[in-house]
Amino acid sequence: MSTLRRYLRPEQIRELVLVFLIIAIALFFSTQVENYFSARFFNRISTSVAIIAVVAVGQTLVVLTRNIDLSVGSVVGFTAYFVGQQLSNNNDITPIVAALMAIGVGAALGLFNGVIVAHGRVPAIIVTLGTLALYRTLLVEYSDAQTVLTANLPEWILDLPRANIISFGDLDVRVMVGAALVVVLLFQLVLMFLPYGRRLYAIGSNPEAARIAGFPSQRIVLVAFVLCGGLAGLAGFMFLARFGNITVVAGQGIELASVAAVVVGGVNIFGGTGTMVGALLGAIMIDLLENSLIRWLEISEFWRDALLGMLILLAVATDAVIMNRLRDLWARSELQQVESEIGEHQKQEEGSYVA
Amino acid sequence: MKRYISRGFAFLIILSLLVTACQPAAPATEAPATEAPPPAETEAPAAATEAPAAATEAPPAEAGPVEATPGQEVNMVLLPKFLGILVFDQANQGAQEAHAELQNAGELQFLGPTPENSVAGQIEIVTTAATQGMDAIMISNNAGDQIAPAAQGARDAGMTVVTWDSPIPSAEGEQIFVAQVDFDETGRVMADMALSILGEDGGKFAVLSASPDAANQNAWIAALEEVLATDSTYASLELLDIVYGNDQSEDSYNQALALVDKYPDMELIMAPTTVGIAAAAKAMQDEGLCEEVKVSGLGLPAEMVSYTLNGCAPEFALWSFVDLGYLTYYTTYLLATGGIEGAVGERFEAGRMGTYTIEKDPTRDQGLRVLMGPFTVYDATNVEAAAQ
Repeated sequence: MSTLRRYLRPEQIRELVLVFLIIAIALFFSTQVENYFSARFFNRISTSVAIIAVVAVGQTLVVLTRNIDLSVGSVVGFTAYFVGQQLSNNNDITPIVAALMAIGVGAALGLFNGVIVAHGRVPAIIVTLGTLALYRTLLVEYSDAQTVLTANLPEWILDLPRANIISFGDLDVRVMVGAALVVVLLFQLVLMFLPYGRRLYAIGSNPEAARIAGFPSQRIVLVAFVLCGGLAGLAGFMFLARFGNITVVAGQGIELASVAAVVVGGVNIFGGTGTMVGALLGAIMIDLLENSLIRWLEISEFWRDALLGMLILLAVATDAVIMNRLRDLWARSELQQVESEIGEHQKQEEGSYVA
Repeated sequence: MKRYISRGFAFLIILSLLVTACQPAAPATEAPATEAPPPAETEAPAAATEAPAAATEAPPAEAGPVEATPGQEVNMVLLPKFLGILVFDQANQGAQEAHAELQNAGELQFLGPTPENSVAGQIEIVTTAATQGMDAIMISNNAGDQIAPAAQGARDAGMTVVTWDSPIPSAEGEQIFVAQVDFDETGRVMADMALSILGEDGGKFAVLSASPDAANQNAWIAALEEVLATDSTYASLELLDIVYGNDQSEDSYNQALALVDKYPDMELIMAPTTVGIAAAAKAMQDEGLCEEVKVSGLGLPAEMVSYTLNGCAPEFALWSFVDLGYLTYYTTYLLATGGIEGAVGERFEAGRMGTYTIEKDPTRDQGLRVLMGPFTVYDATNVEAAAQ
């Protein structure tokens, strides 16, 4: 038990629980939906998760610092439209340039958020709620009521959602899924090993202490917002590739989906704890639930959202109860260890007196 | 203590997120389709010959149709469901054309809410227009009956209130609804397209709609069900399911794929919304399903041209939003200047579009309407010309 405790942190147990939950959901729906464990279904879910996962990674960076970015939905929509517009006007733009353009535009929008939050000292929820509306309005103005049309886009971007890295039979690992996994892994490593990653946790755990310890808090928060914007931009590029026709409502609701994925994935909304892998698992779970529920004949259209909401609530609530138990358990065992060490120390001291 | 507060706060945030997540997306672009021909083309005399059948059915008025007196001052607001969607800008083009034609000394403002604030924004604009002393407002209602008190307030303030594209369901506060097409006819047009695509043997199909509370969408789907149930011509068609994509590309795309998984023997997706039909066609193309599952409904030629030519969406229908804006303007101008009073049987001249008659709206319990029409059905032979 104690070795188990040493190697498994409560956070990791939480992620394991999520994995089991995802398996349980899949097993349940496989009895309800025909052809559930099919390659086709896997391909659809994985491509759909890819977009949300990329946004969720950015969201995690921000949430770790005890902030939140509600503007990501509008950033995704704006970049998808902007890049789509550029590609329609000039079909010769290469894929790399287009992707970089999307990341750049997203990062610029994120920078605006970051400057106001970090240097203006305005709560992030207010700032990004404002820019959520602001960027959407910017898109409405910029679009001039035109739609980005599939017909005007270059071939390569329309083929992108179908492009594979490798296939196992019918089971495809698509380029967009691969890209999302690379993003998740990359930022997981950043969080674990780079000083910047560790500082994100420090700021989120205790902003005051981090400030006193001399961390450049403002810069770290600013960079988190820029990264979050850039990743939302990348997601916007993927959104464009997947859906082709982009209207001014593109990407609406992604801010909520990303926050939900992050919260379900165990990233504490008050900062300081959470991992990229957790956020990915959260994204998978929510998307799997949603895509399973719309294929489940038993449930009407109108109850689906409510049921999805209840399931998420249940997941978060049970998770919170279990997590607190686990944390107490871990803390108590550490306390006992410390006490027994102190006790031994005292005995030794007493012994030395006798001698 | 602090811990409990923060935990409670976390719970609140999650709860509010869930509540928001559970609501259907605010902006509903149920407004399908629009005319693709550029404005210049719609001014062609040909448009006038398309004058609605309703004019001939109506009881003859004592006198000839009323003509508008140009040059009067009427300050007007054209209110779309929200800004940034092509069809509403086209309606504005039509209204501006009529505005210039009638030499209205007042101003015509095109005011709309942003997409995420459609319902509240519409109500606010109606209320503000009344307090600012505007003379008339033309509403494409996206707020259901919630807008009725604001519309009634505008009426009480002496304004003329006309709806277009999507009416106020209870007709409260609204004088006339300018209907793009007969809502019952929409059902028949969709059934006809389904039969034409699936062939004489018919087959199974599903409907991909916008949001569950869009008045015009629901009326069209009800009309489709009615026609399927009562007319033996369509006996071979079976409607499997109705799903909602909330006029978002992503939702519609996922719903279309889910339909394919749910009903392996489904052969057609009917989407009476411009966003839905394009997303469904893209989904079928992406998954290589165009041979098995066809897409149809109400769509924009410019958005649908590639899918029509490659066979994913062989046929779809639409009407002219430019004409709708033009007719709405004439109706409103005449009401505001006292040319017509808004009574059943009144006939009036709407510029290039010909004569129209005010009738009782057969698709609602209450309310009057002016019917525009007709549909244009697009297929591989004419879609390219319309998409230019």
